[in-house]
Amino acid sequence: MEPHTNQTGVVINPVRPRPPTATGRPGKPAHGRCCGVRVATGGCALLGAVLLVAGCATPPAAKVALTGDLLVDGPNLIAHGPARDQVLWQYRTAVAALRRGQFEVARPLLDAALARLQGVYGPDSEARKSRGLFQRESRKTFIGEPYERSMAYVYRGIIYWRDGELDNARACFRSAMFEDGDAENQAYQGDWVLPDYLDGLATVKLGGDGSAALQRARAHARNVLLPDYQPRANVLCLVEYGPGPQKYRAGTYGEELRFRTRRSEVFSATLKTGAIRQFVAPCDDLNFQATTRGGRVMDHVLANKAVFKHTTGAAGDAALFGGLATAALSRDRTVQGVGLGVALAGLLAKGFSSATTPEADIRQWDNLPQFISFASLQLPPGSQVLTVEFNNGAGAPLPSLTKTINVNVRADRDTVVFVSDSSTTPENQ
Amino acid sequence: MHRPKTWLVSEVRPCSPERGRVAGVNFNPLTIMKTIRQLTAGLALIALVAGCASRGVKNPSGVPVTRMNADEQGFVAGTGVESQDLVAVTDKMARSILGIQAIATAAAPPIIVLDPVENKTRFPINKDIFLTRIRTELIKKAGGRVTFLARDRMAVLEKERNLKREGAVTAASNPQAQEFAGADYFLTGTLEGMSTRTAAGTSDYILYTFQLINARTSAIVWEDNAEIKKQGLEDAAYR
Repeated sequence: MEPHTNQTGVVINPVRPRPPTATGRPGKPAHGRCCGVRVATGGCALLGAVLLVAGCATPPAAKVALTGDLLVDGPNLIAHGPARDQVLWQYRTAVAALRRGQFEVARPLLDAALARLQGVYGPDSEARKSRGLFQRESRKTFIGEPYERSMAYVYRGIIYWRDGELDNARACFRSAMFEDGDAENQAYQGDWVLPDYLDGLATVKLGGDGSAALQRARAHARNVLLPDYQPRANVLCLVEYGPGPQKYRAGTYGEELRFRTRRSEVFSATLKTGAIRQFVAPCDDLNFQATTRGGRVMDHVLANKAVFKHTTGAAGDAALFGGLATAALSRDRTVQGVGLGVALAGLLAKGFSSATTPEADIRQWDNLPQFISFASLQLPPGSQVLTVEFNNGAGAPLPSLTKTINVNVRADRDTVVFVSDSSTTPENQ
Repeated sequence: MHRPKTWLVSEVRPCSPERGRVAGVNFNPLTIMKTIRQLTAGLALIALVAGCASRGVKNPSGVPVTRMNADEQGFVAGTGVESQDLVAVTDKMARSILGIQAIATAAAPPIIVLDPVENKTRFPINKDIFLTRIRTELIKKAGGRVTFLARDRMAVLEKERNLKREGAVTAASNPQAQEFAGADYFLTGTLEGMSTRTAAGTSDYILYTFQLINARTSAIVWEDNAEIKKQGLEDAAYR
């Protein structure tokens, strides 16, 4: 039989039929005639190699042309990017929209993200697979770490308040606190300041008693004196500044999720309108929230993956080198065969080790601020100009960051102003 | 040379007489080859499985639209307020309101105005939807025993009335007369919640309370509640 080429262009040698035995069944190859075995082994090895390569090949990533403008790229990636990153892009795009005063753009994005967040209970095949030895953690749908989820609720709460739905705004602030409820150290559970403070203020404005929430907020406040509620204040200013926490991997195999604190050049802000000057100190530090969360359940899973990777790698090394050394040093073909078998087992173990993926998921909501704060003003209805100065550590304003906001103060409900050190200026709100 | 009919794995058949016995242990090259072949096959199988898994996408063909009753829990669920809760709560409230004396024995159909519910839970919700469903259930089941006012449409109604008063449009009655009705009762409600989060999971309890308030006396003529508790635990990958 002549070799022939199959449809994929791979040359296939014809397999010779085994000589029949006396029983009529195909017999094992005779001693000294290991051709069939070689062919079978070679075929298996080839198949294994092909499948291994096929298995390692990652699916082609969806190609989305990026422009550098989050309000263009974000919706594009939400629509055409990986489904597992949808919430991440919804978060990022929503904040970018808020910083341009486009609340109507941010609203549905946050609603969609929070709907996904609230439906995360129960079995999730992608999440289950992300816990597997050979799957990355980043395979799971991104919903963010607790501080990221809390911030999603805070932003949505701001928009609800702006829309005059104080009770729904309060619900968001309560959920923001709730997301922080399972920190490993009890002292850091639900220790955000601003969501509690705004929960109480909303309750007061709805005619209730917000003292319990105010008390909680004051108990958690660090380096800031929270004023009593001013129910008649009709302009609420949410101010944010500084770079947020940055995730990175640590550990031998990158199995540990860590946070890097970037130094902020802004430490406070000053609101100016007419004769009013109001200093705004930070209420919450997101770096603090990110780094006080404690260990995750997933950290244990990743640590186990790392142990498996290390153990199989070490065992593979030992078997590979031991087997090869045995095969090389022995002059006996049988011992050489055993040595090669052990080496192959070692290679297999190395393959397992190499395929194990303990890397922590460091996808992050990368346009979060470091500090969030709040101030309330009482201004007459109509058009007002609000100037926001961002100050350095010495309290001096940084002129390049000063924002001018044209505020239309409403007569029928609270006016909510959102200002970031990266907001566009001037801006109409 | 005698050759057996079949070869047994346990049978030692060295390649040559001088080989196959090392330190008192028999090694069969064919057995070794078989081991290598099995290992290779195992490797191929693992690669196949791993290959398939790494390319796996959940429901790659999508999930067809499933029509469900609003009162049943779907395969997408959270611990917050959902359609089945809305249906259960508003059904109960509508039945309860129709049984009260102020409605059942009223000489004329009482006029009711809806006042938005207050949400005190941790879940942002569409507040109008509760009262809208209670209203429609009452209108369907009460057979004209209650009347609701469309206060949420006042701007449009006033505009229409003014057009009639100006003579810009026709009027079936005297447009100068004040015919917008006042309320006999206000129907309102409150959603309150208690939430717990531990390593064992999340638990959310929501108490739905609705009241019918006499607009003249401020007396609460009817009040009923419904309570729903839900628990859930997310995958360890999210904890």
